[in-house]
Amino acid sequence: MVIADPGRCIGCRTCELACALAHSAPDALATLSPASFIPRLKVVKTAKVSTPVQCRQCDDAPCAAVCPTGTLVKGDHSVEVIPSQCIGCKSCMIACSFGVIEVLPCELMVSDHHPSGRTHVEAVKCDLCESRGAGPACVEVCPTKAIYVVDSAVLATAALKRREHSAAMLVIGGSDGYMSHADA
Amino acid sequence: MAEKVLTVCPYCGSGCKLNLLVENGSIIGAEPANGVTNEGELCLKGYYGWDFLNDTKLLTPRLKKPLLREHRGADFKEVSWNEAINFAATRLMEIKRKYGADSIMLTGSSRGPGNEANYVMQKFARAVVGTNNVDCCARVCHAPSVAGLQATLGNGAMSNSIGEIEDTKCILVFGYNAAESHPIVARRIVKAKEKGAKIIVCDPRFIETARIADLYLPIKNGSNMAIVNAFANVLIEEELYDKDYVARYTEGFEEYKAVVAKYPPEYVEKIAGVPAAQIRQAMRIYAAAPTATILWGMGVTQWGQGVNVVKSLSGLALLTGNLGHPNCGVDPVRGQNNVQGACDIGVLPNVFPGYQKVTDPAARAKFAKAWGVPELPAHVGHCLTEVPHLVEEGKLKAYYIFGEDPAQSEPDLAAFREAMRNLDLVIVQDIFMNKTAMFADVIFPATSWGEHEGVYTSADRGFQRFNKAIEPKGDVKPDWEIISLMAAAMGYPMNYKNTEEIWNEVRELCPIFYGATYEKMEGLGYVQWPCPTEDHPGTTYLYTDNKFDTPSGKGILIATDWIPPHEPTDKEYPLVLCTVREVGHYSARTMTGNCRALQTLADEPGYVQINSADARRYGIEDQKLLWISSRRGKVVVRALVTDRANEGAVYMTYQWWIGACNELTGGHYDPASKTPEYKYTAVKLERIADQTEAESSLQKDYSELRARHAAAVG
Repeated sequence: MVIADPGRCIGCRTCELACALAHSAPDALATLSPASFIPRLKVVKTAKVSTPVQCRQCDDAPCAAVCPTGTLVKGDHSVEVIPSQCIGCKSCMIACSFGVIEVLPCELMVSDHHPSGRTHVEAVKCDLCESRGAGPACVEVCPTKAIYVVDSAVLATAALKRREHSAAMLVIGGSDGYMSHADA
Repeated sequence: MAEKVLTVCPYCGSGCKLNLLVENGSIIGAEPANGVTNEGELCLKGYYGWDFLNDTKLLTPRLKKPLLREHRGADFKEVSWNEAINFAATRLMEIKRKYGADSIMLTGSSRGPGNEANYVMQKFARAVVGTNNVDCCARVCHAPSVAGLQATLGNGAMSNSIGEIEDTKCILVFGYNAAESHPIVARRIVKAKEKGAKIIVCDPRFIETARIADLYLPIKNGSNMAIVNAFANVLIEEELYDKDYVARYTEGFEEYKAVVAKYPPEYVEKIAGVPAAQIRQAMRIYAAAPTATILWGMGVTQWGQGVNVVKSLSGLALLTGNLGHPNCGVDPVRGQNNVQGACDIGVLPNVFPGYQKVTDPAARAKFAKAWGVPELPAHVGHCLTEVPHLVEEGKLKAYYIFGEDPAQSEPDLAAFREAMRNLDLVIVQDIFMNKTAMFADVIFPATSWGEHEGVYTSADRGFQRFNKAIEPKGDVKPDWEIISLMAAAMGYPMNYKNTEEIWNEVRELCPIFYGATYEKMEGLGYVQWPCPTEDHPGTTYLYTDNKFDTPSGKGILIATDWIPPHEPTDKEYPLVLCTVREVGHYSARTMTGNCRALQTLADEPGYVQINSADARRYGIEDQKLLWISSRRGKVVVRALVTDRANEGAVYMTYQWWIGACNELTGGHYDPASKTPEYKYTAVKLERIADQTEAESSLQKDYSELRARHAAAVG
């Protein structure tokens, strides 16, 4: 999945633009408008936090579980959308705990980046820019490197580091009696 | 395959290098280059801020032909360059003959034109027109920083480099919202935090940097001088200051101490609304850091007392010895891409290029000789914020405005418009039809960034070359060529062949720039002034060996008493309006408002940020339109209810045409720098019951405004 560090995010929304354009025709900038601007991640600014939020690609994805037509399916790396199946029932929007899936009118694509000129309602969510050779566009453009890709290797490394940190905090000779099994 | 043209971003003063991707004579994209300040990163304006060059007409059309009109109110008609130049030159000479050279005011441009064009403009003002009445929009932003720092340290610019910010051990952010103004500087602050620096933020709003601060001081609007005096009070009273440094490298300590003694934190907490303990803690952190850097922006300068606060901020650095070595210093982070350059190059009423004073007979003699004129005006000229007043007094008759949009950016716009109507002659030289150009008698269409080349100075004194990527469309000329034509028509031929020739003339006349050759600035080359010789690498931080550029060589400690803001709130106007910036739009918005991506993110009428308690008090709902008014004007704007804004104050950005906050701001200035007090205007909010009607009249007004600008171009 792609995730952001709110400690680094400055709320500039460069990621939103990169996302919207990465999922449009190559010359989409020339026709971009509020109506055609559909970023799959959204920068949220509350009183205390600024950060983009986007799909966590849940392993046990509730959106896929509730989808009655099989539009949302678990792929190798992400929860994938099969646009032609979508009926716009919005069950996925209700099921998603993160609020990061939307059902919107979109232009039907003949193939990647080739619009057909016809519109259609479909579920829109982060697809990790799977069809983009360079990886997720948001990660590439973020000026503070707040956005990064988390895969199983990153998670494993982080867990290992945290276990080492936990181990370092344990005090030698810390079993002062209260913690020992003998007294229990 | 697209060709890559390496250039410098035309927006904020961060000086980011980028490549424009050019295919078949058109720009198709932008990608970051590994510049000294941006290190391969860009923000949204860098990535998506170039398509205004395609004349999208989203906001207002490009100017493509010289335009002239018989009288105000008549339609503009397209004319030849010859006719436009002859008209302007003849009228300007008439006015000079009749009312004297000082009845003419001119501007430089802190934006796209570059240092060479500004050099030619100030030369035109001084040598051809014969006046020092030449100024730029530094007047409404960092002029107090230039004046304040020149008085205390001798040099008005950032004392260290953008790159050094991430290696400092403490950052004191004062009235500076890096995330909105300079994302690429904000990136350095984030990196500094990750490298262990302590961050202290003083700002009435909970800005992005406040989120990562170790200590956030939510100071009351209008309390700057009091809080900085309290800081100095703590440093002295708690003996946190560097006594040896103060004794060896500064002067004025006793007088300074006497003033700040009146501001113990326990007294100031009532003025600033911050507990005394936090004021003390801020200075304990600042003084304990091995290196500390102060960053400030418009939150310090756009006040009636901006110059004094700048002097006192430099005092904090002097007291703690945070000058003269790497990774520490005083940093007024300049806003526009070339506002540092416009100052460097002397589009200021008191200095020639290279900060050589017009009041210095030796400097005047040097420039007069180089420019082949018998003499140059010896008295300091007028500031651009004085224009309405001077017109009213009958002292100013003509205004030649080059690459600025004062009808959007000046305070009290109604008063400014009245002045424009009463001038005998208005000449506008720009790339877009803007609100100022609508008042012109004659308009010169210029080439834009992307269509010409030259040198910009970024916020940390770094000279960089920017390059031409595409051919301009229409009958337009580079700015320096237009001004040269004006000079020739007024009997002073200028025969420059290219920008390098102009730049070399600048170098010859400015000892501190002499070593910055075009060759050294080739590619990613970055030369920070002072750079006195060709083999000098440039200067990353100023005041080496703690030698200051003051007459005595010492840093001067100057403290001043706090003065409350000029226009207090009252029952009728109970809230403070503070004007601020937003990241996706730049300056008066003619460029970014014509970029599809940037205008998609934010469009008219803009937002007023308001605290939720105030929103409840005045019946304001989030995202709804409302009226905001002051003693001078009234505009419609959209509410953004956010607890990042403090109670009692509201915030608007200044680039909107409909939600134009400068209709509300007033004409109170800092007496020294003539910078307006944009940060404090008493206002009231009124809810609008019929939102449907309000939304439709907003759309109607916006369409009509755009249509009027489009029609003016024809």
